[in-house]
Amino acid sequence: MIRVVALRKAAIAGVAGAAAWEIVLRPAILAGVPTFDIVKVLGTLAYPDGPALAWWSVGMAAHALVGICWAVFYAYFFWARFEWPPPLQGLATAIVPALLALGIVSPQMRLMHMQADEVQLTRDLILPSLSAIEIGGLLAGHAVFGLVVGAMYVRPVGYRNGPARIRLARTRQRPRKGALGRPQGAGFIFAAGIEGSYPTIEQGRWRRDEMREMRHYEYWQRDFELAREMGITHLRCGPPLHLAFPGPGEFSWDLVDEPMAELEQFGPEPMVDLCHFGLPAWLGDFQNPEIAAALGDFAAAFAERYPWVRYYTPINEMYVTARMSALDGLWNEQRRDEGAFVTAVFNLVEANTRMSEAILAKRPDAIFIQSESSEFYQACCPEPSIEQRASFENERRFLALDLLFAHEVSEEMLGYLRQHGREDDYRRYLKRDVPRRTVLGVDYYQWNEKLVDRDGQLRNLGELFGWSVIAGQYWQRYKKPMMHTETNYSDAAGAPRWLWRQWHNVQLLRRSGVPLIGFTWYSLTDQTDWEIGLRLPNGTVDPVGLFDLNRDPRAVALSYKHLIEMHRDQPEYRECPALKELLS
Amino acid sequence: MPGAEGAVELMAGFLAAHGYDPGPTQRPLLAGALAGVLATVPAIALLHLFGSLEVEARILGTSVGVTLAAGWLLMAAAGAAYARLFGRAANEKSGGWLFGAAFGFAIWAAGAVLILPLASGGRAPAGEAALGVFVSLVLWGLALGALVPFVHRPLHADLDEISKRTESGPAAAAANGRPAR
Repeated sequence: MIRVVALRKAAIAGVAGAAAWEIVLRPAILAGVPTFDIVKVLGTLAYPDGPALAWWSVGMAAHALVGICWAVFYAYFFWARFEWPPPLQGLATAIVPALLALGIVSPQMRLMHMQADEVQLTRDLILPSLSAIEIGGLLAGHAVFGLVVGAMYVRPVGYRNGPARIRLARTRQRPRKGALGRPQGAGFIFAAGIEGSYPTIEQGRWRRDEMREMRHYEYWQRDFELAREMGITHLRCGPPLHLAFPGPGEFSWDLVDEPMAELEQFGPEPMVDLCHFGLPAWLGDFQNPEIAAALGDFAAAFAERYPWVRYYTPINEMYVTARMSALDGLWNEQRRDEGAFVTAVFNLVEANTRMSEAILAKRPDAIFIQSESSEFYQACCPEPSIEQRASFENERRFLALDLLFAHEVSEEMLGYLRQHGREDDYRRYLKRDVPRRTVLGVDYYQWNEKLVDRDGQLRNLGELFGWSVIAGQYWQRYKKPMMHTETNYSDAAGAPRWLWRQWHNVQLLRRSGVPLIGFTWYSLTDQTDWEIGLRLPNGTVDPVGLFDLNRDPRAVALSYKHLIEMHRDQPEYRECPALKELLS
Repeated sequence: MPGAEGAVELMAGFLAAHGYDPGPTQRPLLAGALAGVLATVPAIALLHLFGSLEVEARILGTSVGVTLAAGWLLMAAAGAAYARLFGRAANEKSGGWLFGAAFGFAIWAAGAVLILPLASGGRAPAGEAALGVFVSLVLWGLALGALVPFVHRPLHADLDEISKRTESGPAAAAANGRPAR
């Protein structure tokens, strides 16, 4: 499946389209306009000589059924292929059934209405001449249908921000084929992830929920089994914070308990990500200074309830969260200003710190995987303004981690913080004790290296220097144990190549002495709408997973399984000294 | 002809959107052929009910038995073509019925409306028999689409076995897979 479709919404749109057709054309037919009467043509197939109510009812039902089929077809094949206003998309798509009706269905209906059971076809039978008024009626009917379906079939994924009724499939008792038990010891980590982003869009009115769109709430047990069959040792995943934390001091574990019990008993070992690009509706957005205390409470409650969990990512990709929410205007607060960005960064770091402290209070040996997107900005040319922009962005990428890891920022960044009145807060963070068991997770995708163009625009460079070079810059700055915590590739056919090349990057950095503890393909299944940064609820599937949304493997699943089997028992990977040190 | 190229590109886009490449563990031809034959059960019942089977046999100049046997072969081939064409999308339980029904409609438009009259010197079913042909082919497609995911599941190749394939191994890291000079 490469498109997530809202079947019920499409069906309702199809029925409404057929009804609108009837409402528009029936008065004309009753007034004596000799146009094409689709309802009568369909209805009189069943009741050739029946009363009007009989053929009208059957005709309407049949037409509504055809309408449903077309609307669902539209939802799968045509919806969101172009960024046009939805009614216009529907109108354009209605050309297809209109042509079929004129060229094939209408002549065949005429044959079906004949008394004989066999005919010798003639040109008049194959190409019956419809009057201009009949053709006009057919086209007008299809246009009305298309406009209505287009207008009604919108936002097939996500839901209104606020309380939502989402059900989790119940646990099924069945044999687990994959390796049982959580992996013990300090072997190198071969991970995958359950993509769990849940930002809001449309000024906070609409919630994206990737776990729902990937049908993880339905297939969670199967997803874990697939991970085990792959030989995956650890799984990056987390609770849907916006649903599990419905109010101050209120926690709802309905969607969390059973999956966590399965992971505890059968593995893979979870690396729990507690905040992934979104907040509960009642907390608003990342401009809210109250989020730190609130998320600290949530982390404490989670650690209390699942005391066996050892790996945590308190907040996933703080830089990306702040950038997309407060600078690029795509998610949550949807702001586009530097001040809002700085506020979001400080709020996120404060929240991360409070969450870590709360977790350590319950689980003193917790390991924190602080995942961040690796970024690099290359100036296109030796123009001072372009080079200055690239230099600034190359400093800004470190800001959240600098605060979290109590690392000094550059003079340029200090000026930036001063400009936004946060120098004192920064100095306070410099005095922070960073938990000993902290790992820097470095994510990398084909868009992480960017060119600052002559016009100041950022353009994707693809893999220019590669993960080992960019991650090496992060290593030089922080000197923390590291893990490659996310990668995937947007073209499924090219994904095996990308996987092996990422792996060679990991090997290169590891052999150069960097304490690397793991590698991750992200995610286990395909995702939705990431090619547009989740900004529109289109439901277009990105084929980046080890498995598609039917849970059928992609070629990259074969490669990753091959890679894991080839390396996991090699002496170099059977025991990972850096991980052993963290676990001690 | 930029127009034609554009249309081809658009169609390829539609198919690509649904993942026309079958997954590495899938056996679409076998699954489609089996489902294609299984789906004839309700279709034959409808053809019989509308009297279409007898009319088609008469038009083709054969017996009902021969018409049925030829129909099974054709439907097996059509089912295999369906599963190969739709690839991963054919394995979707929630949407398969629709892709199948659309395919059944296309088979009706191509086969019953164009090919059958050509093969029979312009003779074609009419009245209830024509209605029966239409409804049975759409129902066949619907059943085919609904059945493929279930028929396909036990036919999948084993992940353990297939992951040893050379093309997904370490050589995939090379830019074009060709040995270096």
